Order: sequence, then C-alpha cells, then structure tokens
Amino acid sequence: MTPTMTPLEAISEKLKTTEPWVDTGGVHWLSPASLKVRELTKAMNELHARFVTITAYQLPGEQGFRLEYHWDLDGYLLGFPFLLAGNTIESIYDLCEAVDWIEREIHEGFDIDFSGREYEPLLLRQGDTPGVNLRDAVAAGKEKK
Amino acid sequence: MSYKIPMGPYHPALEEPYKLDLICEGETVQDAKLHIGFNFRGIEHLAETRNHIQVIALMERVCGICSNIHTLTLCQAMEGLTGLTPPPRALYIRTIMAELERLHSHVLWAGIAAKLMGFKTMFMTCFELREKVMDVLQAISGNRVNYSMNRIGGVNRDIEDPQSILKMVEALETEMARTVIPIFTTSSTARSRCAGIGTLTNEKALSCGVVGPVARASGVPQDIRRAAPYAAYSEMQFDVPVQPDGDVRARLLVRALEIMESCKILRQALEKLPPGEIHTEGEKFQFITGTATSRVEAPRGEVMYSVSWKEGSRNPARVHVRTPTFAVMPAIRWMVMGQRLADTPLIQASIDPCYSCTDR
Repeated sequence: MTPTMTPLEAISEKLKTTEPWVDTGGVHWLSPASLKVRELTKAMNELHARFVTITAYQLPGEQGFRLEYHWDLDGYLLGFPFLLAGNTIESIYDLCEAVDWIEREIHEGFDIDFSGREYEPLLLRQGDTPGVNLRDAVAAGKEKK
Repeated sequence: MSYKIPMGPYHPALEEPYKLDLICEGETVQDAKLHIGFNFRGIEHLAETRNHIQVIALMERVCGICSNIHTLTLCQAMEGLTGLTPPPRALYIRTIMAELERLHSHVLWAGIAAKLMGFKTMFMTCFELREKVMDVLQAISGNRVNYSMNRIGGVNRDIEDPQSILKMVEALETEMARTVIPIFTTSSTARSRCAGIGTLTNEKALSCGVVGPVARASGVPQDIRRAAPYAAYSEMQFDVPVQPDGDVRARLLVRALEIMESCKILRQALEKLPPGEIHTEGEKFQFITGTATSRVEAPRGEVMYSVSWKEGSRNPARVHVRTPTFAVMPAIRWMVMGQRLADTPLIQASIDPCYSCTDR
C-alpha cells in the first residue's frame, strides 16, 4: 500500500479488480464475480487486515446460502459476499487462524461444509452429530408437533 | 507422561460454565482444548421472532455485564435501516452510559482478578467501588443491570442533572486513583503474580484477531472508539492505553489505565452535554430492505451486529452478533501453553471472558 492510497484502493489493486466499492449499511462492500475466498484471504493477510467475522444467511427455498466475510483495515469495515449454491465453500482456516471458531459455529448451525479442514473438537454440541442445520431442525420439530 | 485435567464446565475457578481440557506434563501445561456452548440459548434465532421493540429487550439479555452495549450496537444498526438519526444529546447520553458500563465491567474484573491472585481485601475494595458505579447507573436509568436506555433514534431517559452525576463520577475517579490504580500498577503482589504469566505475543494476537484490552495489552493499538467513532466519541479527548508485554500484568495495566480514561471521557461528556431532545420525537419510520452493520467498543472489545430486514416485515430476517469474547477466547490456548497449571485460572480470567456473550 503506497502512502497516497486509501485502504480501499489498496485492496482493489491487490485483488486486481476495477469493481466499484459500495458503501452501505456501515460496510464497504466489494463483490467481484470471479473472487475466490482463499485469494481474498491472502490479499487481506498481505495488507495486514484484521479478520472480524463471517455472517451466514440461509436463502429462501433451494437457493443455498450467502456468506459475508468481514475484515477491518484501518477502521474501514470491509464486506465480501459469497453465494453458495450448495453447502460447501473452501475453508480459510490454514490462512487465517482467527476464522476457526466462526467456521465451526456456521458448520454446526447451518450445516455448511468448509472444505479442507477438520471440525474436532465440536464447539456447540459436543457428542452430537456435527453439521446440522439448526434452523431446518427447529422448523422440522415444529411441524412434528 | 502427559495427563489430561478437565477444568469445568462447572469449576470453582470459573464464573460461568465452559470447559478447558488441559494436557499437562508434570505441573506444566503442554496444550489446551476449549469447549463452549454450555450457555447456548439460540438468541440469534430467537431475534427473528421478535419485533423491533422486543428485539431490543432480547438483545439486552445477551450479556449481564455489557447489556447496554448490545442494545446500543443493535439500535445503531437498526437506525441504519430506518434512516433515523439520534439527536446530539442522545449521542452524549449513549457515550456516558457506555463509559459507565466500561467502568463497572473493569472494576468487577479487577475484583475477580484480585481474588484469583489471593488478594481478597482488594476484591472487597473493588466490589465496593463497583457498587458506587452501579449507583450512578441506577441514578440515570432507574436500573442496575438491564438499563433499557437505548431505543431506535435515541435514548429512553434523560440525564436531568448532569452536575450531580458529575460529582458522583469525580468521587469515583478520586477513589479509583487512590486505591485500585496504585495497587494494580505498583504493588509487588500484583507484579509477582502476573508478570511474565500467560503471555500472548504481538504476532499471535494479530494472527488470532483478538480485540479489546487483550489486543492492546499485546501491543495492538486497536480501539473502535478511535478507529471508527460512534455516538459522541469523535468529540472526546482520550488516550488508548497500549502495553507491549502481552502478559497478565499488561492486561491488568491496560484495564487500570482505561478506568482513568473512562473517567476522563465521562467528565467531558457530562460537562459538554448539549441541550435538546433525547430521541426523534413522533417521527414515523419504516425499515428498508437490506442489511446494516454496526460496531462498538465494549469493555471486552469490539462487538459487531449485522441486522437484516425485509421492508414491511414485523421482525428482522437475521441478526448476527459477533461478541468480543468469541474473538478472544481461542487465544487462551496460546496463553496457557508452557505455563504452570496453578496459573491457568488467573490466565483465563485475565481475558475477562464472558461465556454468556460467547454462546449467545
């Protein structure tokens, strides 16, 4: 990052994208279609951005999930959305240690598989089956009643 | 020969349930595995069944110590979806409440840390002081734990006599400067029990993404009040205490210094409290479709709320809460490795963990 660049410009340069940033709802969003989560993580590491969290959304019907990855760079809250048609995305745990617990929590709450990592020991439901979509389980429980 | 010592989920050295499996070689901890979830209440899911008023009351119960911070962060996010802007007086009152909560949290933690150090007189002194902070909170809000101060577009209660609150804060500051701060910063007991114990290096703090006083005690100068100011923080003069050593003593020092900085902010906010309304009066609002995110520097570090709403809907579509302990707690593993087994209660307490926040 050169001294004259803003953090957002530095990220765009690092990711080699001309896609515009969208500043909405307190987050600076960037969503280039070709962006891969592991490439993004490497770029964030090189820029010394701090990983904040991943927010998972279950989309209606069979549309899958949306995962929003958040980093902080110099007080800018950055957001990168990824759409999952199925329930699998590459894990970034080997690149970013801070992601460990949130990947595990999402795996256990939404049954999303972060490929390339193990989930032991379990975080929320030790001894139970790992990777259950709790929302679907709750809905199924209500139907039974 | 190595052996495993399970600490928790219910253990005299822990204030709330969580489990630490310690792998030991003699008296030395070689590794540790953490297990959480004993307080899991499904609050994020419950939030999707509550309307915009009920969800504030629900989120106030994520944590018993920083209840105000959770509603503040949530209301800020919901204001982003409704377009409501709190009046200046409300922003100052939010700042005052947030700093009083930080004071009460840090003094509570200091008491517990003193108890774990075997310094029981200090424990009683801290809890006496905490009562005084809670008296101030009660004088403002009418409540001692869940203050119900925040609402979309402002706050629920005014500070009608800032001068009387200012006197209470000044008395607190004098008492802190006279008793708590010198003991924690200069006492040989505190030094011998905490120096060089449970070190989290700067490199590890960065790679684990820790936040709040734990990050600042490992030389990471990160504070949302400074990096991305909210409420009235952009108008306050304060320092962000940072210590380089990363041990329990550094965490103790950072929090002790933050107590004094909180008093400084409180004095400024009470002296400059602007006149006017405390919330947007009678203004009708509607949620727009979208997601809004808000961050606040809680006593334990950054809290983040992402709130998603569909226009016309009664309830939020999704509320995601990232609490500071959730970010900090995994680092305990690195703090206890190579340490004496007897020091683990103090080390795990030094992050000021909130299991209730972590599990949600």
